[in-house]
Amino acid sequence: MKRGFSFLSRVCLHSLWMLLLSLVAVSQSRTITGKVTETPGNTPLPGVTVQVKGSTKGTQTGPDGTYKLEVPQGATSLVFTFVGYKREELLITASGTANVSLSADVTALKDVVVVGYGTQKKSEVTSAVTSITAEDFRQSGARNALDLVQGKVAGLQISRLGGTNPNTGVAIQLRGVTSLTGSQQPLVVIDGIPNGNLDLLQQDDIESISVLKDGSAAAIYGTQANGGVILVTTKRGKKGPARVDYNTYFRKEYVQRRPDFLSADEFAAKIASGEIPNATDKGHRTDFVDLLVDHGNLSQYHNLAVSGGNESSSYRASMYYQNLEGILKENERRQYGGRISINSKGLNDRLTTQINLATNFNKANRLTDGGNLAGYYAFQPTYSPYNADGSWYFETTSTNELARLFQQTNMRQQQTSSGDAKLTLDLVKGLKASLFGSLQRDSWTDGAYADLASELSKETYQGTGYASQNNEMSNKYALEPTVEYNISINNKHNITAIGGYSYRYEVYQGFNANNYGFVNDRFEENNLNAGNQLKLGKAGMGSYKNDNTLVAFFGRVNYAFGTKYMVSAILRREGSSRFGANNKWGNFPAISAGWNLKEESFLHDASFIDQLKLRAGYGVTGNSGINNYSSLVTMGTGGNYINPDGVWRQTYGPNKNPNPDLKWEKKAELNVGIDYGFFRGRLTGSVDVFTRKTSDVLESFTAQLPPFVTDNVYANVGTLKSNGFELTINSTNVDMKDFRWTTDVAFSTATTKLAKFSSSLYKATYKEYGGIGGFGALGNAIRTYEGGKLGNFYGKRFAGFTEDGLWQFYKKDGTKASADQLNSATDFAVIGNAIPKYYLSVTNSFKYKNWDLRVFMRGRLGYDVLNTMEMFYGTKKQLPNNVLHSAFTKHAQLKDGYQYSDYYIEKGGYMKLDEVTIGYNVPFNGNKYIHNMRIYFTGGNLATITGYSGNDPDFIKDTGLNPGIDALNNSDNRTPYMSTRSFMFGLNVGF
Amino acid sequence: MKQFRKIATYTALALLPVFANSCTDLSENLYDQISTDEFYANKNEVVSAVLRPYTHANAWITPSGQNGWWRLSELSADQLAWPQKGRHGYDDGNWIRLHYHTWTVDDAPIRDCWRLVWMGTGFCTTAIENIEKRDASAMGLTQAEKDGYVSELRLLRAFHYLRILDLWGNVPIVTKVGEPTSPPTATRKEVFEFVEKEIKDHIDKAPHLSKALLGRMSKEGAYAMLVELYLNAEKWSGTARWDDCIAAADNLRYGPVGGVNGGLALDTNLIDTYAPDNSNLAKETIFAIAYDFQISDFAPSWTGDFYHFVQGKINGNDRNGNDGVVVIPGVYTTFDPADKRKKEWILEGPQWEYNSADTIPVITTGNEYDGEQLVFVDNIRRNKANSTVSNMTEGEENSGVRFNKYKLGSIKDPHYRSTDWAVYRLSWVYFAKAEALMRKNGGVATQEAVDLVNAVRQRAFDKKVWDTHKYTTATLTMDELLAEYGREFIFEGYRRQELIRWDKFTNGTWWDHKASENFRTIFAIPQNQRANNDSLKQNPGYPN
Repeated sequence: MKRGFSFLSRVCLHSLWMLLLSLVAVSQSRTITGKVTETPGNTPLPGVTVQVKGSTKGTQTGPDGTYKLEVPQGATSLVFTFVGYKREELLITASGTANVSLSADVTALKDVVVVGYGTQKKSEVTSAVTSITAEDFRQSGARNALDLVQGKVAGLQISRLGGTNPNTGVAIQLRGVTSLTGSQQPLVVIDGIPNGNLDLLQQDDIESISVLKDGSAAAIYGTQANGGVILVTTKRGKKGPARVDYNTYFRKEYVQRRPDFLSADEFAAKIASGEIPNATDKGHRTDFVDLLVDHGNLSQYHNLAVSGGNESSSYRASMYYQNLEGILKENERRQYGGRISINSKGLNDRLTTQINLATNFNKANRLTDGGNLAGYYAFQPTYSPYNADGSWYFETTSTNELARLFQQTNMRQQQTSSGDAKLTLDLVKGLKASLFGSLQRDSWTDGAYADLASELSKETYQGTGYASQNNEMSNKYALEPTVEYNISINNKHNITAIGGYSYRYEVYQGFNANNYGFVNDRFEENNLNAGNQLKLGKAGMGSYKNDNTLVAFFGRVNYAFGTKYMVSAILRREGSSRFGANNKWGNFPAISAGWNLKEESFLHDASFIDQLKLRAGYGVTGNSGINNYSSLVTMGTGGNYINPDGVWRQTYGPNKNPNPDLKWEKKAELNVGIDYGFFRGRLTGSVDVFTRKTSDVLESFTAQLPPFVTDNVYANVGTLKSNGFELTINSTNVDMKDFRWTTDVAFSTATTKLAKFSSSLYKATYKEYGGIGGFGALGNAIRTYEGGKLGNFYGKRFAGFTEDGLWQFYKKDGTKASADQLNSATDFAVIGNAIPKYYLSVTNSFKYKNWDLRVFMRGRLGYDVLNTMEMFYGTKKQLPNNVLHSAFTKHAQLKDGYQYSDYYIEKGGYMKLDEVTIGYNVPFNGNKYIHNMRIYFTGGNLATITGYSGNDPDFIKDTGLNPGIDALNNSDNRTPYMSTRSFMFGLNVGF
Repeated sequence: MKQFRKIATYTALALLPVFANSCTDLSENLYDQISTDEFYANKNEVVSAVLRPYTHANAWITPSGQNGWWRLSELSADQLAWPQKGRHGYDDGNWIRLHYHTWTVDDAPIRDCWRLVWMGTGFCTTAIENIEKRDASAMGLTQAEKDGYVSELRLLRAFHYLRILDLWGNVPIVTKVGEPTSPPTATRKEVFEFVEKEIKDHIDKAPHLSKALLGRMSKEGAYAMLVELYLNAEKWSGTARWDDCIAAADNLRYGPVGGVNGGLALDTNLIDTYAPDNSNLAKETIFAIAYDFQISDFAPSWTGDFYHFVQGKINGNDRNGNDGVVVIPGVYTTFDPADKRKKEWILEGPQWEYNSADTIPVITTGNEYDGEQLVFVDNIRRNKANSTVSNMTEGEENSGVRFNKYKLGSIKDPHYRSTDWAVYRLSWVYFAKAEALMRKNGGVATQEAVDLVNAVRQRAFDKKVWDTHKYTTATLTMDELLAEYGREFIFEGYRRQELIRWDKFTNGTWWDHKASENFRTIFAIPQNQRANNDSLKQNPGYPN
C-alpha cells in the first residue's frame, strides 16, 4: 500500500507542478513598483490585486510580493485588495514606490455565510445559522471532520464515544432529539452534495462549516432537515500565483483514568487473607488490560495542497496521507486520498463551471474496538494469558483477548469517492440558471480470519479456522437544476429568488460469505472455497440490495428593504419512495424576518452599538430517514423447514404489518434571535431562543395481537417538544499592538419531552431505552412516560442493605422490600435524567507577537450517569473475577446480586481542558521561498473536573434515546474505550 | 473554454432524459424482498408459507431460550426452576416471580409469550387467507392439495388457540388478518368451543401422519389435540369430558394410524425418542418440531436454558449454555434408584469430559468453583460459603441436577444437533387415557389404566426388577399418577397443566414455593396489549 501511495503522489505532484507553472502571471512595464507584505510577520503576499483607483488598470503581486504597474496620468492612489485581508489605499507619491502591509480581515471571511443553495451576507441572515471557519477549528487532530467543531457551535452536540478509536465516527445531534426511530443526525452537505460522506474531508481542506440550526433555515432541505443541516465548504483556489501548503502533525496518546480494579498483587493478597474465598492464586501477576494497550502508538498526518488561479479560472488540489493509531493494539486506520477543485469562467464570463473530485482510500484494522476491554479488566489477575508451555491459555467462559490479537485479523478496505459539477449560466442581468450534479460511491471489502489455533476456531469451529468476506457498495446520485434571480429596485428593494428541482437516488448492495473447515492458515480469507463447509453445508452466504428515491421542488425568496428589514420565505415540496402509498408528498414552508435595529434613528446615536439585529423565523421540516420499504408488507424468511419431499427449504411469512399511511415526521420550529455587536467589534455574538414541536413521530407500536400478524406497526403517532436557549459571545478582551486576548463562549440548554405517544389506534403507556445488559438481565435503564422528559432513569429507590447485605428498596408506600416484591409500574420512580441540561464551552486565545496560545474548555452539566462499572464490578458477586477496589470499601456491605437502582446513579457533570495549543509563526521577512510557517504544540484532553467516579464522562453517550449509561459492558451498542491524553506536534508551511 | 462549453453542453444533454423520465417517480424497487401480494405464485412458495408457523413454533412451544409456553408452564410448576446462581440468573426477577406465582401484568415472560403465540396464529391465518382466496391452479396446486394445506393450517391454528386457552383462557377469537381491530375478549368456554369446532371440522380432511409429514400437523396430531382438550375440559370449560378424551385417545391407539416411522407405537427404550436421530428412530412421536442442523442449519435452541457454561465438554460438542434451568431439590429423589430414567435423563454428581471414561474432570472457570471439577448437586444453596439457606436467590453455578433427556450428540455424530422436540407422544396419550379412566372411576385405578401406565413405565426398569416396580390398581393412586407423570414427562412442558388438574398448582407448596391465589391458574393478559385494545378484558383477580 505504501508503494502505491508514493507512486501515486509522484505522478500527481508532477502533474500539479506542470499545471502550476503554466499559470504563473506575466509582468508588465514599469512606473510604480512596490512590495506587499503581511502583518504580522512581514512575509510577502503574492496574488494581491493592485489597482489604480477609479480605473480598470491593475496587476497582481508576484511570488515575492512585489509588483510593477504602469499608471496613467492623473491617477492619485492605488487600491490593494486580497481575499481575506483588509483593503488598503495608498497615495501615489513621487518616489515611484508604494509598499504596503496588509492585515488579515477576520470579519471579512465571516461576512458571508453559506446557507442552503447559496450564500448570504451575515448581516442579512434572518434565521439561526452558525458558521465556523478554519481558524476556529479544534486543533487536536481530527479523526472525523466534525471533531473540528466539537463544542464550537451552541446547540450542536458532538461526542466521540469511540475515544481514540480511529474507525468510529462521532455521535452528533443538533438541539436535542428529533426522532425516536428515524434519523436523528443532521444532514451533511459537502459543497452541495447532499448526504456527503465525512470520510472525504480532511481538516486542512475545509474552509468553513456552517450549521443551519432552526427550521426556517433548514426547510429548504425538506424531509432531510429535522436533525438540522451541516454545510461544509471546502477550500478553493484563489486568484494569484501558485501556492503550496504543507500541513502535518504527529500525535501520541497516553492512557488516563483507568478504572480502579485491584492490582494483581492486591488480588493475591486478598486470596491469601481469605477475603476472596472462591479463587486460587495461580501464581502469575498480570496486568491484563495493559497487554492490550499500544504504548508505542503514533499518529501522523500529511496534507499537501497546491492552489492558484487567474482571472478566469482557479484550482486547488490536495493530497493527504494519514495514519491514525488508537490507544489499543490492532486498532488503526491508514488513509490517503485527495481533493481537486477547479473553477472556471467561460462564454465571456457568463458560464461558470465548478468541478470537484474527492477520494479517500483507507485500510482500517478493526480487530479491536474497545469491546474486548471489559473481559480483561475483570480477568483474574493471578492468571497468565499463557500456559506453562508457552501456548495460549483458553477457557470457554472467557476470551483470551491478547491471543485474539495475534491469531485473528479483521480488516476493512474502503474507497469513497465523490464527483460533482455545477454549471451556472448568466442568462440576462440578474438571472442565472444552474445545473448541479453529483455522485458518491462508497464501497468496502471486509476480510476477517481466525487461525486454526485461535480460541474462536477451537471453541466454535472445531479448530478449523474461520474466514469471512463482506462487501458493500452504495451509490448516491443527485441532480439539482436551479434558477436564481436578483433584482434591486431603486437601490432599496433587493430581491433574491431561487427555485429548483432536486432528484436524489440512493442504492445499496452487498455480498458476504464465510467458511470454515480449513486444513491450514495459508489462505486466510483469500481462498474461501478452501474450507470444507461449502460442501458440508455450514458455510454462509448472503446478499442484499435496496434503494430509495427522493424528489423535490423548492424555492426561496429573500427580500430586503434597504439594510433595515429582511424577509425570507421558503417552500419545499418533497416526496420519498419510503413513504406509504397514501402519503408520498409533503410541503415544507418557512418564513423568517430580520430587523436591523441599529439602522433605526433611535439607535443611530448609540455609538457603542455596531450591530443589533432582531430576527424571527418559523419553519417546517421533515424526516424521511427511515428504512427503505418501511411501508410495504413484505415476506420475510423464517428459517428452513422440512418439505414433504424431505428437502429443507426456506419458509416465508409476512415480516411487517401494513401501514399505507406511513409518512414523514414533521417538525415545526419557532426561533427568535438577536445578533449583536458592540464596542467596535470587541463584543459580538448572538442569542437564540427556540421552541420546536416534532409531530407524527414514527415509532414501532405494539400491534394489536390479535388480529395482526407481526408484533409491531410502524406508525406516525408521537409528538416531541423541545425548548432551548443558545448564547454565543465573542469578546476581544485586550487588543494591543503586540498582544491580543479573545474569549469565545458557546452555551446552550434545551429540554425535550415526549409530549404524546398515543393515538386512537396506537397506544403505549411508556417507552423504554438503554438496555443495561451485563449479568442478571437487568432490563432497561431509561423509561419515558407520555408527557415525561426524555432520558429519565426509571428504577428502584435504594433503601439500604439488610444485615445480611441484601438489597432493600422503597415501595410506593414508603415501606422497604426486596427487589422481586416491587412492581415496576407503581414502586419504581424517576431516579435521574441522562440528558445534559447545559453545554458550555470557553475558548481563550492569546496572541503575543508571533506567538499564540489557545485554551479550550468544554463540558456538560446538570445530568446523571448510570455507573454500570460500579454496578457490575464494584461487588464481590463478581469474584473470582477481578473487581474494583470499591467492592471491598464503598460497597463492602453488599452481598446480594446485581440490581439497578438509584444507588448507582451519579452526577455526570464535567468541564474538561480539551485543548491547549501553543503556536509560533516563524517570521520569514522577505524569504523568497517560504512565506509562512507555523509550528504548534497541542495537548488534548488534559484534565477533567468532575464528580463522576467512573470512566471519562465525555465518552458517555449524550445523544439519542439511550444516553447516560457508562459503557463498561458492550450492551446496547455501547463500546467501552479508554480515555487518553494526547500530545501533538504540528507544522503548517506555505510556499 | 471551448472544451468546458462542450462538456457542459454534453453533460446537460446527457442528463436531460434522466430528468424528464424520472421527474416525480417515487416507486420502490424491491430487489431482495417480495411483497405478500406477489407471493403464493407456485407450489414451493405456498409450502414455504404453510411451514412458516412451524419454525416460529420452535420459539414458543419448545424451551427455545425465549419466553414461550414452555417457560411459563415449567418455571411456574413444581419440578423446574431458574434460581439466581451467584452473579447470574436474576434476570429482572422474572424467574423468581414465576416460581413464587407473583408475576405482574407487566412481566416480560407473559408479555413475550403472548406476542409469540399470537404471531404464530397470525402466520397461520395469513397463509389460510392467501391460499383460500387464490385459485388452486394459480398456485400450481390441485384442489385437493389446496384443501389439505388449508385444513392443516386451520388445525395448526387450533393448536395455537389450544395453548392460548391453556395459558390465558379468556381471549379474543380472530380468524382474519387485521379484522376486526380491537377484537373483544371471548370467555374461556367460548374459546374451548371454538378450538373443538375447528379441530372437528378439519380433522377428516387432514392427511394421516407419515414420513412426509415429519414435523407437521396431521390427523393424528389433531386427535392428540382433542385428547389434551378433553383431558383439561373440566378446568377449561367447566364440564368434564372424560369419555370424549378416551374416545380421542382410542382413535390414536386403535384407529387407522400413521406414524413417521411406520405405524404409531410406543418406543421400546428410553433413548430412541430423544436421540439426535429421533426423526428416524422414534415411533411414538405424534407431533414434533423437526430440526436438522446438518443439512438445514435449523437446530434445537434449548441449550441456552439447560446447559452449564462448560456443558460442551460433557457432551463432546461446542454447545454451552447460560446455566439456567435446574431441577428443584426433592424431585430427583422421587425417582426410584432402579428407575433408568434417573440416570438416563438427568445429570447429577461429578462431571467428566466426553469419552474420557470418567478420567478427565470437566473444569469450570470464572464462577464459584473456578478451577475445580463441575459437580451438579441436588440442592440449591451456597455450599461454597457453607450456607444451608436454600431459595431462589441463593444458588451457585452447580446448583440443582440438570436436564439430559434430549441429546444433541457429539460433534462427530452424523445427526448432531438434529434432535426433534416432541410436542405430543403416544406415551402421553396412554397416560391421558389412564387418567380419564381413573377420574371416571372416582379417582381409583382400573386395570386398563394400570396397564396403560405400566406399558410406558416398564421401559424404565430392568426385567429383573420390573415385578416389584410395576403398578397395580392398589398402588396407582391419583397422587402416584401425578408423580409418575412428573417422572415420565419431566422437562416436556406439561407440568403446570397436570398440577392444575390435580388442584395443586395454586394450593400446593414445594421447595421455595408457597401456596398462591387461585386466580393464578391462568396468566394475566399483558398490560401492553390491554393498553392497545380497550375490548381486551383482564383476567379475574389481576389488577385491572
